[in-house]
Amino acid sequence: MLALAELGVDYGDWRASFDLTVPKGALCALIGPSGGGKTTLLHAIGGFVRPHRGSLNFDGRDLLPLAPAERPLSILFQDHNLFPHLTAGDNIGLALDPSLRLSADQRAAVEAVLARVGLAGLGGRKPGELSGGQRQRVALARALARNRPLMLLDEPFSGLDPGLRRDMLELVDGFRRQDGLTVLMSIHTPVEAAEIADLMVFVDDGRVAAAGAPEAVMAESGNEVLDRYFRRGVVGGGGRHGG
Amino acid sequence: MSRLPGLLALGALVAVVGLALGGLVIAGGEPGLGSSASHIPRLVLVSLAQAGLSTVLSLALGAALALALARRSRFPGRSALIAAMNVATVLPTIVIVFAVVAVYGRAGWLGSGASLIGLDFDTWLYGLPGILIAHVFFNAPLAARIFLAGLSAIGPEQWRLVAHLGLPPAAIFRLVDRPVLVREVPGLAALIFLLCFTSFAIVLALGGGPANSTLEVAIFEALRFEAAFRRAALLAALQIAICLTLLIPIMAFGRRVAEGASTGHQHDRPDRDARMWRIADPAIVLLGGAFIIVPLAAVAANGLSAFASLFDTLVVRALVTSLAIGIPAGALGTVLALALASLSRHLRVGDGRIAAANAVGITSLVILVVSPLALSAGLFVVIRPFTSPLSVAPLLIVVVNALMALPFAYRQVEPPLMLSAERYGRLADSLGIAGVARARLVDWPLLSRPLAVALAVATALSLGDLGVAAFFGSGDLVTLPLLLHRQLGAYRMAEAASVSLLLSLMVLALFVAAQRWTGDGFARAR
Repeated sequence: MLALAELGVDYGDWRASFDLTVPKGALCALIGPSGGGKTTLLHAIGGFVRPHRGSLNFDGRDLLPLAPAERPLSILFQDHNLFPHLTAGDNIGLALDPSLRLSADQRAAVEAVLARVGLAGLGGRKPGELSGGQRQRVALARALARNRPLMLLDEPFSGLDPGLRRDMLELVDGFRRQDGLTVLMSIHTPVEAAEIADLMVFVDDGRVAAAGAPEAVMAESGNEVLDRYFRRGVVGGGGRHGG
Repeated sequence: MSRLPGLLALGALVAVVGLALGGLVIAGGEPGLGSSASHIPRLVLVSLAQAGLSTVLSLALGAALALALARRSRFPGRSALIAAMNVATVLPTIVIVFAVVAVYGRAGWLGSGASLIGLDFDTWLYGLPGILIAHVFFNAPLAARIFLAGLSAIGPEQWRLVAHLGLPPAAIFRLVDRPVLVREVPGLAALIFLLCFTSFAIVLALGGGPANSTLEVAIFEALRFEAAFRRAALLAALQIAICLTLLIPIMAFGRRVAEGASTGHQHDRPDRDARMWRIADPAIVLLGGAFIIVPLAAVAANGLSAFASLFDTLVVRALVTSLAIGIPAGALGTVLALALASLSRHLRVGDGRIAAANAVGITSLVILVVSPLALSAGLFVVIRPFTSPLSVAPLLIVVVNALMALPFAYRQVEPPLMLSAERYGRLADSLGIAGVARARLVDWPLLSRPLAVALAVATALSLGDLGVAAFFGSGDLVTLPLLLHRQLGAYRMAEAASVSLLLSLMVLALFVAAQRWTGDGFARAR
């Protein structure tokens, strides 16, 4: 279980404070307006920003004292996930040895994980020779190769067209079921997220404004920020003209 | 990389500059104001005036050339002209002196033509006109390069909009081009002014005497010819104060000036067919181009015809001396830049101490305030009680030349180090890539090419240095620029031509080698 309690990050006078619990093995979708704090939340869990307050635990273990690489998690960023001068195979190999001195067994493991993401035989290509979707598959393969129980994804597929995006989401969903991963993913397309997510969390102005089953969060009315995000009751809706 | 090398570099830098400033203070208390202390106010005024004029002319010609080249995206010789502009900005200043004399001097290409119709160019050249021609010759291309890089960066969507709205040519200039130029002017003007204000070789050789001297030349003459320590200290203090004032606008507008040659990649601009530009642009390109290309051609042609005079023991000895000083100085400047940039990155990215990181960056610019000869003068005075400064001259020249190269080398290596941290820092942290592996896998691919360029720039600056080498030089210690300066002074133009060409080719070879260098760089991966 991932548990955040009043986890606080300040940027000048912008103050974020997150309370959130994600059950083990769940896929949690983070939605909300740009600048609302989704990336800050993910970066705080990943260890890239140092929280000023609060607690962060995974399976009862305190993550805050740990360096980013020591935390039991892998992360996919929106872009720049791969080193452009290294081959796809080497980029994945970094998960197994950060100095990239790989044994024969480790090379075989790289091949195996490439096959899992549907890129068998493409390990010799550089990122520039792969499509956008293939590049994110390589990044996903590296996250799998790291074999960490928690996976964070920061809008990883927003640059892809809708068909590819669905493929990637299904791929992520499949892996988390096979490997028993807990997944936290920020995403711009709530409807697509709802198809695979167990839990939907709405982040706005540095806090969790709503959380629950996807259908419930998306249907929740009367919540002003949610209504604005989904543009409910703004254009031709019942609220203003109906009475 | 740990922060220890950076702290050591910073300590050494502060120690050397501190010693030199201490030396100037000591000198200020010594007797010997020299013969012409009353000339100091006039000296400052003349320095400021020639630098101001040089700056205005350079910016005007640079802007005109950049605009014409931006509008004319295709004409035969365009890339050759841009290449010539790049060459003009990197030539050693003493070679520029030769080039100017070879074209405008009495026996020069233009000068000899003029004397046929009874005009004497020589009396006219030595003095303000010669200084201005030489300063504009290398600063106008510098300005044009930076303006052109800005103009080329105007995106295709803006040109689509301009075409869609049907803006007339004058409005395109006012609304699209001018804001780009205006944005670059403050930093560029301050830089050119600073370069001209502390100009040494050009003013020494073309100034025609004390009437048109700069403070930099006056410091040299006060110490070397008159042993007037107090006067040298006074002049240096004045110069430091003025440079410090000038550096503030560079800091304030301290956007990273778009470095390097423009790729020449251009969109077809909607105003290329406007009638006014179809007449004006070719005229600007022809006249401006001739102003830059003819002196370069003079160096090449005169140098080739006198190439045999290179096989001379004096030239060979000077070549060996120049290399023995230039290579260590270039290496030292580059290592200092890398150590400081790495420290700055540690402070900025690792510790979040932005102000401290910026302070380290500003430290690398110290030579722009404490000019090479002010620094040399200070070190000279400090060392004199212990040993003859001339006996440790090579070491002193290497150190001062390395500091001269530091701002330029730092500007090459700092951005890729920061970029590497911004773009891949989190990724490397999350994968636990650290220490040597991080330098090898993450930093080196982004850094190798800028590092090669930094080394080339630093070595070229040292190879072309006249002031410091002349200040500490002696009968035994003669570098190529110093030899060239003596040949020019003795009107041995054939020999001067061959040495000019040799120096130019050495500097160009360095730059070409650095540009070709790709390492494992991202350039190839893309």
